[in-house]
Amino acid sequence: RLCSGRRRYRQCAAEGCPPGDGGSMRCQQVSVLYFARSAELAGLRCETLSVPRQITSLQLWEEIVKVHPRLAVIQDQVVFAVRQEYVLLGDQLLVLQPGDEVAIIPPISGG
Amino acid sequence: MDESKDVARDFIKLKSEKLSVDEVSELVISPSCGAVSLFIGTTRNNFEGKKVIHLEYEAYTSMAETEIKKICRDVRQKWPSVKHIAVHHRLGVVPVTEASVIIAVSSPHRAESLEAVMYCIDTLKASVPIWKKEIYEDEYSWKENKECFWANSGK
Repeated sequence: RLCSGRRRYRQCAAEGCPPGDGGSMRCQQVSVLYFARSAELAGLRCETLSVPRQITSLQLWEEIVKVHPRLAVIQDQVVFAVRQEYVLLGDQLLVLQPGDEVAIIPPISGG
Repeated sequence: MDESKDVARDFIKLKSEKLSVDEVSELVISPSCGAVSLFIGTTRNNFEGKKVIHLEYEAYTSMAETEIKKICRDVRQKWPSVKHIAVHHRLGVVPVTEASVIIAVSSPHRAESLEAVMYCIDTLKASVPIWKKEIYEDEYSWKENKECFWANSGK
């Protein structure tokens, strides 16, 4: 899915993120997708964020909440979908590639 | 019907137009099957005493289709005699009494398709990234399936 939403080239989340080849500290541009209540709270449906290549799912959530503080209220109720696989918010280490899709998934209600 | 073309198929569609029971059941009909089982989910006009005006659905479409394909794959592992599976889910506004989801499964004998249909809807509610907003007269509410393990209601 092409992210036609806001492009946000923020300073990379990790402290001292080097401009060159910094191994795991190197930043990647990922597409963040917002759905349902998370889209209402964030005020948008997708954007590009710059995040470290390796980051835990909880750290990734915290980076997103820094950008959209109103999302904090749903922290206990969301999971991520990273490259379309569900990931709980926690210690799971994500290895992100440029252009990866990360979706915020509030509790589902299909059917 | 050319029987060599009767290879088992999954028919998955997410669309904003009105769903058709005739269309979905015809997709799964097969000369080798004596049973077609069907589930239709429709919009109710009330929730906890509040009048529901309509439902609105949205989806992470690409992942929803992938998750429904996984459900079809699981169905075929559990019930190998199942022939065709069709899952149509509506997106956008669904007025009261209209269908939001139709699932049809064909099999040689009825037990497998009946069980497979139930498995499909139960698993869809637990794993497919689709969301429903219930619109009342003065407010709205994002619903949460009890099957969803990350919903607060499950904690």
